[in-house]
Amino acid sequence: MANVILKNLVKRFNSVTAVENLSLEVHDREFAVLVGSSGCGKTTALRMIAGLEPITSGEIFIGDTLVNDMDPKDRDIAMVFQNYALYPHMNVRDNLGFGLKIRKFPKAEIEARVKEAADILGIHDLLERKPKELSGGQRQRVALGRAIVRKPKVFLFDEPLSNLDAKLRVAMRAEISKLHRRLEATIIYVTHDQVEAMTMADRIFIMHKGALQQTGTPMEVYAKPANLFVAGFIGSPSMNFVEATLVREAGAWFIDAGGFKVRSPESFNARLEPHAGRPVIFGVRPEDMSAHKPAAGAGGANTVTTQADVVETLGSEILVHLTCGAHSLVARMEAPEQLLTEGQTLEVDLKMLKTHVFDKETSQTIV
Amino acid sequence: MTAALSAISRFVNRRQRFFFPAPAVAVLFLIIVLPIAFNLYLTFTKWTVGLGQPQFIGFGNFVEAFGDERVWNGVRVMIYFSGASLVLELTLGLMIALYFNRAFRGSEAVQAIYIIPFAATPVAVALIWRIMLNPEVGVINYLLRSVGLPPGLWVSNEHMVIPTLVMVDVWKWTPMITLIVLAGLKSLPPDPYEAARIDGANPLQIFWYITLPLIRPVLIAALMLRSLDNLKEFDLIYTITQGGPGIASETLYLYSYNVSFGYFKAGYGSALMVVVFLVVLVFNVIMNRLRRDSSVV
Repeated sequence: MANVILKNLVKRFNSVTAVENLSLEVHDREFAVLVGSSGCGKTTALRMIAGLEPITSGEIFIGDTLVNDMDPKDRDIAMVFQNYALYPHMNVRDNLGFGLKIRKFPKAEIEARVKEAADILGIHDLLERKPKELSGGQRQRVALGRAIVRKPKVFLFDEPLSNLDAKLRVAMRAEISKLHRRLEATIIYVTHDQVEAMTMADRIFIMHKGALQQTGTPMEVYAKPANLFVAGFIGSPSMNFVEATLVREAGAWFIDAGGFKVRSPESFNARLEPHAGRPVIFGVRPEDMSAHKPAAGAGGANTVTTQADVVETLGSEILVHLTCGAHSLVARMEAPEQLLTEGQTLEVDLKMLKTHVFDKETSQTIV
Repeated sequence: MTAALSAISRFVNRRQRFFFPAPAVAVLFLIIVLPIAFNLYLTFTKWTVGLGQPQFIGFGNFVEAFGDERVWNGVRVMIYFSGASLVLELTLGLMIALYFNRAFRGSEAVQAIYIIPFAATPVAVALIWRIMLNPEVGVINYLLRSVGLPPGLWVSNEHMVIPTLVMVDVWKWTPMITLIVLAGLKSLPPDPYEAARIDGANPLQIFWYITLPLIRPVLIAALMLRSLDNLKEFDLIYTITQGGPGIASETLYLYSYNVSFGYFKAGYGSALMVVVFLVVLVFNVIMNRLRRDSSVV
């Protein structure tokens, strides 16, 4: 097993920069997820680690070895591809054993390892079948098996679940997590799905436009996003963003969004101070809002009066799309006993300690 | 009048499936079914064109063919010529297709020039080769002499004639195999190649374990297509050697032509044509089975 270090990695395709100065370290036995929207450079970064894509500049270390000019076969990695990339003319047994056969492993050893992988993945009955006779989920298992039998230092996963249906994806997610614990391997996993990243990763590496935005555990990037992009990318539904200005009234800081004005917690004061009077973006997650019918005498400093546009029922929870002046907000909350109706006026309480303020110019987080 | 017309149109309407294909069926019958049927009939007769009527002799022609030394010579020449040229064309065609499959500067221009022999008219090509191969005045011997190499007899020598014809056939038809194989290579999925590189395969192993099995169906299809022509190669051999020297390059097909149109023995010639047909048929049935077994996608 080994750690993987990228130092100032750059990839340019003619004039297009796919990966810009990417530096990161994946620890030994860590489940690292590279996540970002399509075109952010995450797959290119993974392919450079694999050796399938030549790098423009920078350094890649696997373990203590600089692998920049090494062939993929000498990097001691295994890769699971989005389209499975099985050998269509070989049956499952030969697909699994191919890498070992090429590396001249003895027949008995190949047989044993193929059996072990088939046991782990529950694909014993499929060993004699050709890939075209398998379903998508079965093919993905075989692709996983092909990686497992090699017992490599590092596993690379390139969006392995994106071709599966939603239900299977959830099941495979859990299975890959289990596999990681069992193999105690270093895994670098690329996905555009933040749910996959949140549920599987030890640490998440969020990329945008070829550059690394933030690194952290799932809870860290959720609770303390480094900038506007991360705040909007992590979490479902996305964080609500509202353009606002910071104003000081009677010793307290207020966030004035035009349609509403809320009082910011005292603990934010020191960080808000330098941005007084400047345009900011106010962010609040749907799950940090609770809507209720207007109650007499209520309506504190962190309550916003809104109009319900659409109510989406998810069963135990509801999503309420709200309008507040020119702003649209989404609130996510437990389903109330009395159904909310569309068009009715609602008061929304914000958990101000969990809200965020971003610099509008730099997109960086203020609090 | 109108009533009669509408009655006719009703009649035709109800029987569209007979009326519309009728002209095509009639033409096909005249130009394909009838000649084949007549040919089959002739195989059971003894008939020299211009001398009386065909006489029914049962399987007499086939019995005669079995004991005819020129038939066996024709079979040997056919196997030698076709075996050598098909193997060479397939091997060279595959190698050149692999080379063209990597993009390189000017590859399109090179490919365009490369397929010219395939596009040229066979008889014209054969005539030019005949002149070039002439031992006395041909340019090939001239070039050999000018670099100090001994001249060859080429198609004038009974041992050299088949290899020489094979060379011309390979020159003319390898581009066709290349085109077919190249199309097959271009349609292969890229993923298994990347997986194989990560699995540890070197370029030669990738070719052997991935490329070759994946394009096997294409190779067999190319072989089938080429063999249809090659087993009854006529224009090239007839134009260059007429089957000579002696009968050294007389394939079974050429012999059956000579029997039919040289000696006008239509019955015996027809029987030999049927034998050629059976050889081509059996070869292609085997190939087709191989192709089906190896199809993966």
